[in-house]
Amino acid sequence: MDIPFVREAISQLFSKPSTVLYPVVPVEAAPNYRGRIAYHPEKCINCGMCERVCAGNAITTVVEKTEEGDKVTRTFNLGSCTFCATCMDFCHGAIEFTTDYHMIATKEEDLLVIGTHIRKPPAKKAPPKPAAPAAEAKPAEAKPAEDKAAAPAEAAPAVQPRDDGKPVQDPSKCVYCTICAKKCPAGALEVDRANKTWKLDEDLCVGCGTCAENCPKKCIII
Amino acid sequence: MSLVMDAIKYLVYILVFPGFLFCFLSGLLLCGIDRKIVARMQKRVGPPVLQPFYDFFKLCGKETIVPAAASRTTFLLAPLVGLAALVVIQLFIPVFNFSAFSGVADIIVILYLLLIPALSIIMGGAASGSPYAGVGLSREMVTIISVELPLVLVLLAVGKVVGNAMGTGLCFSLTQIVAWQAEHGSLIATPSMIVAAIAMLMVIPGETGNHPFDAAEAETEICEGMLAEYSGAPLGVYKLSHAVKMLTMTSLFVALFLGGIGGGIDRMLLSWGLTGGAAGVIAVLIGIVVLFVLCAIITIISISLIHAATARLRIEQIFKYYWTVVTGLAVISLVLAWYGM
Amino acid sequence: MFKKLIEESTGKSPWLFHINAGSCNGCDIELVAVLTPRFDAERLGFKLTGSPRHADIVVVTGPVTNQSLPRVLRAISQVPEPRCIVTMGSCPQSGNVFRGSYSVAGPLSKYVHVDVDVAGCACKPEAVIDGLALATQILAEKRRAMK
Repeated sequence: MDIPFVREAISQLFSKPSTVLYPVVPVEAAPNYRGRIAYHPEKCINCGMCERVCAGNAITTVVEKTEEGDKVTRTFNLGSCTFCATCMDFCHGAIEFTTDYHMIATKEEDLLVIGTHIRKPPAKKAPPKPAAPAAEAKPAEAKPAEDKAAAPAEAAPAVQPRDDGKPVQDPSKCVYCTICAKKCPAGALEVDRANKTWKLDEDLCVGCGTCAENCPKKCIII
Repeated sequence: MSLVMDAIKYLVYILVFPGFLFCFLSGLLLCGIDRKIVARMQKRVGPPVLQPFYDFFKLCGKETIVPAAASRTTFLLAPLVGLAALVVIQLFIPVFNFSAFSGVADIIVILYLLLIPALSIIMGGAASGSPYAGVGLSREMVTIISVELPLVLVLLAVGKVVGNAMGTGLCFSLTQIVAWQAEHGSLIATPSMIVAAIAMLMVIPGETGNHPFDAAEAETEICEGMLAEYSGAPLGVYKLSHAVKMLTMTSLFVALFLGGIGGGIDRMLLSWGLTGGAAGVIAVLIGIVVLFVLCAIITIISISLIHAATARLRIEQIFKYYWTVVTGLAVISLVLAWYGM
Repeated sequence: MFKKLIEESTGKSPWLFHINAGSCNGCDIELVAVLTPRFDAERLGFKLTGSPRHADIVVVTGPVTNQSLPRVLRAISQVPEPRCIVTMGSCPQSGNVFRGSYSVAGPLSKYVHVDVDVAGCACKPEAVIDGLALATQILAEKRRAMK
């Protein structure tokens, strides 16, 4: 009978084992290993894209109204996470995957990464409060005509970006394809294809720039 | 008075040496050495040498579950029967010039007793009422049949060689075989016995049910076969009897082929000028150590090396292997022995 | 003394039983990787057993499908005391991407008490060793609490 590995077995007996003595010798994960999530709530713009793209429904958001503003608590359940990092790809730097792989828990709370931040009502919101309803109301009243007329009046050659980081549309290029409205994580855009209106709800908009990125005509400026 | 002394003596033989305690300690230690060496051969660090002791004591502390379909008494007593048989075999195997019990034909007794551990495991498996045990015990029976034929032939060859030399035709007394070797040198120097020793080395892993021949206890295929329903202390006893069986088979090998070392120990003690009762005790102590070292070496050669180098065989491959290769070797050695070589 | 031996040994010889409750095989492979020469869990006394009756630690992978749930519970109930249940990967803890599927009955913690969760999808073998070591400690404590 042919026993092929006898020689190898004997030679291994006198050579060093290839075992990594793990608990004694600490092991670092590879540089781009996707381990425990680190969440930096101060960088969060609360666009909600992470929650929308998460395959495992690992991210939940709870919003509490306080007098300082909306208190947003975002919870990452590592016990439901696939560590695909899609949320990190969509995020503006608030979600980070560390190389920490020691995710051992005896109770469920150990696997939760929780971050809280307070979303203040836009500071500009208070002063231009009388203006804001007007801006909302205006396009609502006079639908296409007003919009087309108003846009060249505001910025005739090219649309100027706004100083509060919210998107502006260039009506001369816009084809009203509604992609921006579909992509908007906050649901702040409303586009009517038939009537050719492009409406921004400034209260809902978080200024994430998803609409500008996804605009096929590049007519949204942020 | 002498009756009481005899009773105490035999009690010590049965409980301490070469009985239960010796079997327990050296068997499990042998098993630990085997596991460590196999791990090193597979380029691993391996468990500590005392791991089988941890396993055994842990199993003693576990809950014992008796399945509803099992027949309770047989299920719980079968492991003890097997262990007891092995301890009895160990009593018959001489440690060089010391033997607890001797008889005219103790090889035949050993041959029969060697069947009992396998039968006990079959009995326990059948009593557990598990279908895995059913598959396992049919395989175990085939393994016994495969292994027993070359083993008998090897023992016959050894008996013929020693019997020829002593002029009695056939010698079936292990004590006499060892005593003859102590006088005339180890049997392994004889040409026919080299072949027999190789066949015996191949028989050992099959008889103990170790790795390439463990189709009956294949844990990845049939949930360890007959042990599938065992838990807690009975399982620990089975693991212990497996370890003791390794000791039994290897020390049987030492007694059959390397018995000449006993004469060497005697001559060494004589050259130191030791005689009398003290010399006897020292000879036995040295004998135990030498026996254990030899057992460990044989375990490494015949069990660990084959374990590390091969994958599990199917049951019909085991049967074919033993009835062609090993039986062939045993027959060659028997023929050579018959012609006095 | 015998009791002390048993208590000491319980922490040194944990035997594993692995249940695949509808796993994608990612975690199963990582568990096998733990037993390979590179990580060699056997040096810590771990051993993969074939029968739940021999096991101390039950490792569950997969989101616990409706088909597997009764089998999982039956296998776990066959493990003699003291026993420890470890979930491996995200699936048995929450269902992961399979959550809400018509055929998923999990998470496992709805049905049995889970001692240790090892997160990751799939978990790194080092994390598995960490989790099993923690489970072994829990096992030894459970043994001490017995009787």
